[in-house]
Amino acid sequence: MPKSWRNLILGTVAFLGTGALIGWIYGRPEIGLLVAALAALAWQIRQLLSFHRALGTRNFDAFRFGDGIWQQVFSRFSRANERASKYKERHRVLLREIRKSTDAMPDGAVILNGSNQIVMCNRAAKQLAGLKPRKDRGQRVDNILRHPELTELLQSDDFKASIEIESPVSPIGWLNCRVVPYGANQKLLLLRDVTERLRLNKMRRDFVANASHELRSPLTVISGYLDSIADDGAPEEWVFPVSQMQAQARRMNAIIAELLELSRLESAGLASLDNTVDVAGLMFAAKKAYQSSSGEHADIQLEIESGAVLRGNSSQIESVITNLLSNALRHTPADGTVTLRWESNKKGADLTVTDTGEGISAENIPRLTERFFRVDRGRAREDGGVGLGLAIVKHVLSRHNAELHIKSTPGQGSQFRCHFPAARIDASRDLDVAGATG
Amino acid sequence: MQASNLTDHISRRFNKDIEDLRNNVLTMGGLVEAQLSRAIAAIVSGDSELGIQVANDDYKVNSLEVSIDEECSRILATRSPAASDLRLIVAIIKTITDLERIGDEAEKIGFLASQLAAMDRPSDSYRELKYLGNHVSEMLRTAMNAFARFDVDSALSVVKEDEAVDDEYDAITRQCITFMMEDPRSIRRFMNVTWAARSLERIGDHAKNISEYVIYMVQGRDVRHTEGFDDRESKTD
Repeated sequence: MPKSWRNLILGTVAFLGTGALIGWIYGRPEIGLLVAALAALAWQIRQLLSFHRALGTRNFDAFRFGDGIWQQVFSRFSRANERASKYKERHRVLLREIRKSTDAMPDGAVILNGSNQIVMCNRAAKQLAGLKPRKDRGQRVDNILRHPELTELLQSDDFKASIEIESPVSPIGWLNCRVVPYGANQKLLLLRDVTERLRLNKMRRDFVANASHELRSPLTVISGYLDSIADDGAPEEWVFPVSQMQAQARRMNAIIAELLELSRLESAGLASLDNTVDVAGLMFAAKKAYQSSSGEHADIQLEIESGAVLRGNSSQIESVITNLLSNALRHTPADGTVTLRWESNKKGADLTVTDTGEGISAENIPRLTERFFRVDRGRAREDGGVGLGLAIVKHVLSRHNAELHIKSTPGQGSQFRCHFPAARIDASRDLDVAGATG
Repeated sequence: MQASNLTDHISRRFNKDIEDLRNNVLTMGGLVEAQLSRAIAAIVSGDSELGIQVANDDYKVNSLEVSIDEECSRILATRSPAASDLRLIVAIIKTITDLERIGDEAEKIGFLASQLAAMDRPSDSYRELKYLGNHVSEMLRTAMNAFARFDVDSALSVVKEDEAVDDEYDAITRQCITFMMEDPRSIRRFMNVTWAARSLERIGDHAKNISEYVIYMVQGRDVRHTEGFDDRESKTD
C-alpha cells in the first residue's frame, strides 16, 4: 500500500477516533463521532469542488492543499495535462510546417478517401483546379473536376496511367493527372500544369511541318533544272556531279516527305476503329512491289497464318510494312531471307518482320526509333535510308494502340514484331487466307 | 442546404440513392462539357474527324439522360421524397433535359465543324466562335459547379452572364451578314458559322436554365422569367 493511502486511512481513522473520544469525555461518543465524520466529509467535498474548479479554469497553481492524496492526484493530473498540451503544440507546429510545405509544392495534391471524396487539398490544387478546400471537403472530386477521362482514371485502379485534361480555370491550360494509392484505401490525386510543355511541343511540331513545307518549293526548282541539264546532255566533266546532285535532291525530297508525314502523324489522334485494314493483302502487295523492282535483294518470304482484319488506317499500316521491309532488305545480304509474318490469337495480332541480316547490338536497340538515329554513322547515307522510317513506324503503331518489340542478335539477324491488341481486331470478319505462304 | 445535409436521412439506402443520382448528373455534366469543348476545338482547328466523332458520341449523353430519368421516377415512386429532396429530384429531372439539349447542340456544332473544315478557312480560324465558345463553356462549367456545391451566388452570376453571350451572338451574326453581302459565294460557309454561333448561344441559355434550377433547388425560389432576367426564353422555346 503506498504511503499516501496509508496516511489517508490512518488520518481519517485517527480523526474519527479523536471525535469519538472527545464525545466520550462529554458522555455522548456517538455525537462526537458524527461531528467528526461530518467535518471530514465537508473537507473532502471542499477539496473535490476546488479540484473541479481547477479543472474548469485550467489554473492548476491555484490548487494548494497540503501534501495529502488530493495534492498528489492533482499534481499527477496537471503533469499529464502539461505533457499533453506540449505534445499538442508540437504536433500543431509540425502540422503547420507540413501544410506550409505542401502549399509550397508547385504541383496540386488532393487527398481522396476510398470513395474519391476530397479530404484535403493543397494550395496549388486550389489554383490549378479551382477547388475550394473548405467548401469541397467531402465532395467527390470528379463532381468538381468533371472530365469523363478523369472519372474513368479514378474508377480504374490503374495507378501508372496519367491523363491530360483541360484546365477548369483557364481556357488554354492543360493539367496532367495521376493517381497514387497510399495508406488504407486512400488515394492522392496529383495535378501538374503542363500547359507550357504542350505549347512547346506544339510549337516544335508546327515548326517542323512549316519548315519542311517551305523547303519543298525551292527544292522542286533545283531538281527541275538538274533534270533538264541531265536530259540535255551536260558537258563531260559535269555528268558525274550532276547525277550526284540529282541523287541528293531526291534524297532531300524523301526526307522532307517523311518529315511531313511524321508531323502529320504527330498531330493526328488515334486511328479510327471504323475502317479496316487487310494486312495480309498489304503484305502481298509490298512483296510484289519489291520483286518487280530492279536490283538484287534478299528473298522475301510470306507467312500468313491468320485472316484477321485490323481496325485502323490502311495507308499508315502500309507505310509500317514498307518501312520495316525496306529496312530489313537494306541490312540483309542478297543471299539472305526476309520473312513477313501475320498471325493472331486471343490476345491480339502480330505483324513480324524477320531478317537474316547483320543484326543490331543490344545497346542500340532502345535508340532505334529516334529520328535520324543511325547505328553505323560511317556507312550511313549511301544506302538511301532517310533515318525516319522507324520513327514513323513507332508513331503509326502508337496511333493503333500497338507496341513495337525489337529482338536482334548481331551477325544472325533481327526481328521487328508489332503487337496489336485484341480491341484492334475486327472479330466479325476473318479473311480465309490462313496458311497461305509465298 | 449543404452537400452534407443530403446524408442525414434515416434510411441509409435513400442517402445512397440520392447521392448516386447526384453523382450521375454530374458525370453527365462532365460528358456534355467534354463534348462541347471538343466540338469547339473541332471548329477552331478545322478537324473534320473530331467533329464527326463528337456527333457520333452524342448517344452516350442520351443514354445517360434516359437512365437518370428512370432512376428519378423510381425514387419518386418508392420514396415519395418531400421538401429539399423533392426539390432536388425535380431540379435534376429538369437539369438533365437541358444537358441533353446541350449535347444535341454540341452534336450539331461537331457536324458543322466537319462541314466547315472542307471549306475555305479564314485567317483568324473563327476567332469569334472560339471566344463565344469559351465563354459558353465557362458558363456551363460554373453552372455545373454551382450544382455540385449548392452555390447560389455563382448560379446567379451565370444567369447574369447570359446577356453578354447574347450580345456576342448578335455581333457574330452582324459580322456574318456583312461578309455575305461582300461576297455572295461565301454565303454557304457563313450560314454554317451562323448556325454554330446560334447553337452556342442556345447552350448559354440552357446553362442559364440549369443555374435557375440550382437556385430553385437550394432556396425553393423560382427565379425564371422574373425581373431583370431575359424573358425571351419562353418565346424561343
